Amino acid sequence: MLPTRSTPSSSNAKLPEARSASLGKPSARRRRDVLYAYLFLAPGFALFALTILYPIVRAFQISLFHWAIVPGAASAFVGLKNYAHALHDPVFWRAVANTAFYMLITVPSQIVLGLLAAVLLDARMPARALFRTLYYLPVVTSWVVVALVFRYLFITEGGLVNWILHDNLHLIPHNINWLGARWTAMTALGILGVWKGVGWSMVIFLAALQGVPRVLHEAAAVDGARAWDRFRAVSLPAIRPVVAFVTVLLVIGGFNVFISVYLMTNGGPVDQTQVLLTYMYRQAFSFLDFGYGTAISFLLTLIVFAISLVQLRLFRRPAGER
Amino acid sequence: MRNGRLLKVLALAALAAGLVSTAAAQAKTTITFWSAYSSDGPEVKQLETVIIPAFEKAHPDITVKDVTIPYNDLHQKLITAVAGAQLPDLVRSDIIWVPELANLGVLAPLDTTMPDFKTLSDSVFSGPLATNAWKGHYYGLPLDTNTRIWVYDPATLSKLGMSGPPKTFAELKTMAAAAKRKGVFLYAEGGTGGWNILPWIWSGGGRLTNDTYTKASGYLDGPKSVAAVQMLVDLYKAGEMPNIIVNPNGGLGAYDGIFQGKYAATLDGPWMFAIFSSAHPDTKLAGSLVPAGPGGSVSVVGGEDIVLTQQSKHKQAALEFLRFMLSPFAQRQMAEAGQMPVLKSAEGWLPTIHAYYDTYLKQIATARPRTPTPKWPQIDQVLNTEIAKAFQGSETVQQALTHAAHQIDALLQ
Amino acid sequence: MVVGSHGRRRAAMALRLALLTAGLVVMLLPFIYMLATSFKPNAVVLEIPLKFFPQHPTPANYVSAWTSNRFAQYFVNSVFVAIVTTAAALLLSSMMAYSFARFRFPGRSFFFGLILIALMVPTMMMLIPQFLLARDLHLLDSLWGLVVFYTGGNMGLNTFLLHSFFQDIPVELEEAMIVDGANPWTRYWRLILPLSRPALATAAIFTFLASWDEFTWALTIINDPSRYTLPIAIALFQGQHSTSWGLVFAASAIAIAPVLIIFAIFQRQFIAGIASGAVKA
Repeated sequence: MLPTRSTPSSSNAKLPEARSASLGKPSARRRRDVLYAYLFLAPGFALFALTILYPIVRAFQISLFHWAIVPGAASAFVGLKNYAHALHDPVFWRAVANTAFYMLITVPSQIVLGLLAAVLLDARMPARALFRTLYYLPVVTSWVVVALVFRYLFITEGGLVNWILHDNLHLIPHNINWLGARWTAMTALGILGVWKGVGWSMVIFLAALQGVPRVLHEAAAVDGARAWDRFRAVSLPAIRPVVAFVTVLLVIGGFNVFISVYLMTNGGPVDQTQVLLTYMYRQAFSFLDFGYGTAISFLLTLIVFAISLVQLRLFRRPAGER
Repeated sequence: MRNGRLLKVLALAALAAGLVSTAAAQAKTTITFWSAYSSDGPEVKQLETVIIPAFEKAHPDITVKDVTIPYNDLHQKLITAVAGAQLPDLVRSDIIWVPELANLGVLAPLDTTMPDFKTLSDSVFSGPLATNAWKGHYYGLPLDTNTRIWVYDPATLSKLGMSGPPKTFAELKTMAAAAKRKGVFLYAEGGTGGWNILPWIWSGGGRLTNDTYTKASGYLDGPKSVAAVQMLVDLYKAGEMPNIIVNPNGGLGAYDGIFQGKYAATLDGPWMFAIFSSAHPDTKLAGSLVPAGPGGSVSVVGGEDIVLTQQSKHKQAALEFLRFMLSPFAQRQMAEAGQMPVLKSAEGWLPTIHAYYDTYLKQIATARPRTPTPKWPQIDQVLNTEIAKAFQGSETVQQALTHAAHQIDALLQ
Repeated sequence: MVVGSHGRRRAAMALRLALLTAGLVVMLLPFIYMLATSFKPNAVVLEIPLKFFPQHPTPANYVSAWTSNRFAQYFVNSVFVAIVTTAAALLLSSMMAYSFARFRFPGRSFFFGLILIALMVPTMMMLIPQFLLARDLHLLDSLWGLVVFYTGGNMGLNTFLLHSFFQDIPVELEEAMIVDGANPWTRYWRLILPLSRPALATAAIFTFLASWDEFTWALTIINDPSRYTLPIAIALFQGQHSTSWGLVFAASAIAIAPVLIIFAIFQRQFIAGIASGAVKA
């Protein structure tokens, strides 16, 4: 039994009005409802607060100290000095730039390519389930394996990418030293990120497209609209909330890139491809400066939070308006 | 009468034996030992099927629980364990982490904890032993050691018309140029960190720091150090060294290159022979000393130390196992699994296990440790970054080394 | 006219399939290479130029991986942790989502906001505080330590996902049950959950995959090798100086199988779930 689709609410991640199903009797019912609300919330939130919120608070505490790892040793309180240090650290800013660049490559690409693949798969066609599963395969493959294979693909002399571009298609005059320079390396990392993630957004978009009522498509077709116009006028607006959701999550994921960079370049050469989390990892676990490492993490969170707010504002146009 | 008394004695003996054995069974101590032995090679098998059973047989009251952790993650796990006071009794630690752990105060100073420390320390090589020193105490003993020697494929060399490996810096230069003319890289190096570059600096007569490890300026950027690094940079700029020195992940790795005949040689430890004999049995590698410069042929010490943690509740039992791991029996067992022993007495039998150990022993005799300081990761990072700039050409060698020395001075304070 | 449009549709379908197949080749190329290498004996190196098909394919790596020290045990450990985590996370998140979706209560926006913000925080930063916490809760070196923290870590995304789906379930259905005297628990259990099977399947796939693949936390808190999980086992195939990549790839291929099975089982539900509005921002 499919629930009927309610009128598309304005898309925002803030909590829309809860449809409280209370009838009649005001205060007693109200009080009991609130009690039930807390009862449903409590177990999950307690676990969440314990295992996530509390460590976040402790981590923030660590960022305010020159933290001594050994339990019992005295840690010097430095206030916001770790944060100030980050803001004056050229490698930190380079990491911000690299991470932003990575995000700019991976987020739109995953959305566009995911949508494209979803559109192509949104039809009755042979082997649809097979295509779906195979496109999702990169998502479930381990990063270690994938990073290694991509490292070999991007090797300067004899890697597959250069072999295709230089030796076969003659698109480039010399072999590109992919992992040897900052922007080419970040591009290679971006390609890896897109390749690995496109299946995830594709599956989500496919389902969203399938949820667009056929009635709307047929009405538009009767009006003489061609496929592309139908897509723009019917499908896109209908899946707008989904696009917002995917975008927010992809941005969070993009900023949190770590394992692929760690395995492919480890921030090199010469610290050119540091991203925020590889830099944080080195500060914390190699140099044992946990205060500084956690400060970097919080700055990352702040940036992501700011961007998410902007995004949600951008996406939050009332559905009626074009 | 005599039977009766005999019977009583036997009964008493049996009773006593029973009591003792139950007491022993009750008093069984379990010690935990963390290591990063390679589990895809014979090391872990050797440890678990030969060494530990032999130890437990000799010490029935002690059980050894060994935990194998991937090398790339061992340091992180150790640090987290420090933060939570969850360290094991014994750790096979990379030598470069020992000063850091000692500085954190989590290791027991063996020179004061072990009454027989002097005997043990006298029986091991001095270079590896020095890696355990920190602020006037020794916080561990060497467990296995290694160094880098010139490992090459004689078949590739003879294809190049060369009769043998380079023995001096001068020969290195001429042979590298000749190799390039035939389209082969004579020497491949995969990075610009301490492990990669220090053998050249030291063989060139240069230094990283002064003897007391307090200053790098004047040493790292001294004329001999600069000349040594300059030699490598010149080779790279002339196209006689592959790009993986600046870009380790962007080109053919050293092993792949040697296997494919594109590189002739690299510097590496004894594991390279074991790896090739299993993966590329048709390639017969040979080893020789690091080409000698004005400072002789001096290489860098690597390896692992065995350390005892302060929080261990079974120090005596753990020390028993530590002694066992340093016994000729255990050292020999691990040598057969590719782990070079640290006992001076091994010089007698080691080359009989593998001929290449002969060269390694010669090289170890003069090999030097990297600076024993908790700040080594930062120092290594500085070397990595600055020296790479010299190779990339954005700085001259002198500039790069001076910048590096300056930063290292600050770290050594 | 019929013939013309029929022909056009055929052409469109052909183009569709062509594009999809081209895309598929790009998507699968690295994976095919991984599979091919896993059937190569003793492939310590990856050759240049890449050879796609092994000359003498052999399943030796798969046999080696499966029979290696305790691999089957690690597999079972991973299965246990992933299933329990998924079940617990689904239960707790759906309860929270129901509360946010259906009730108005003081602090609602605040609590929801906290959940959203926590999604943005890098997990690595919490490693040491979580480790200290696990130690104090005596959860170290145990699979339950993994379950507890994995469940907590998956709350955010699942609650976010499920809450927007629950919103789309018409209030009238629930009001009908209220008239009949049903309490919230009954409504939750008998109405909301059954109607949300698709969304629950969505959350199940995400949570299972996240738990199955998680490495860092497992490595940090588990010391007893008999309790290692699969990602650690695979990492152990990598040596300090070299790695048998054939072995690693074979082990990784074995590790992918359960996730693909879960995906295959749930995917019809999963797609239908998002279609019905599971993913409203």
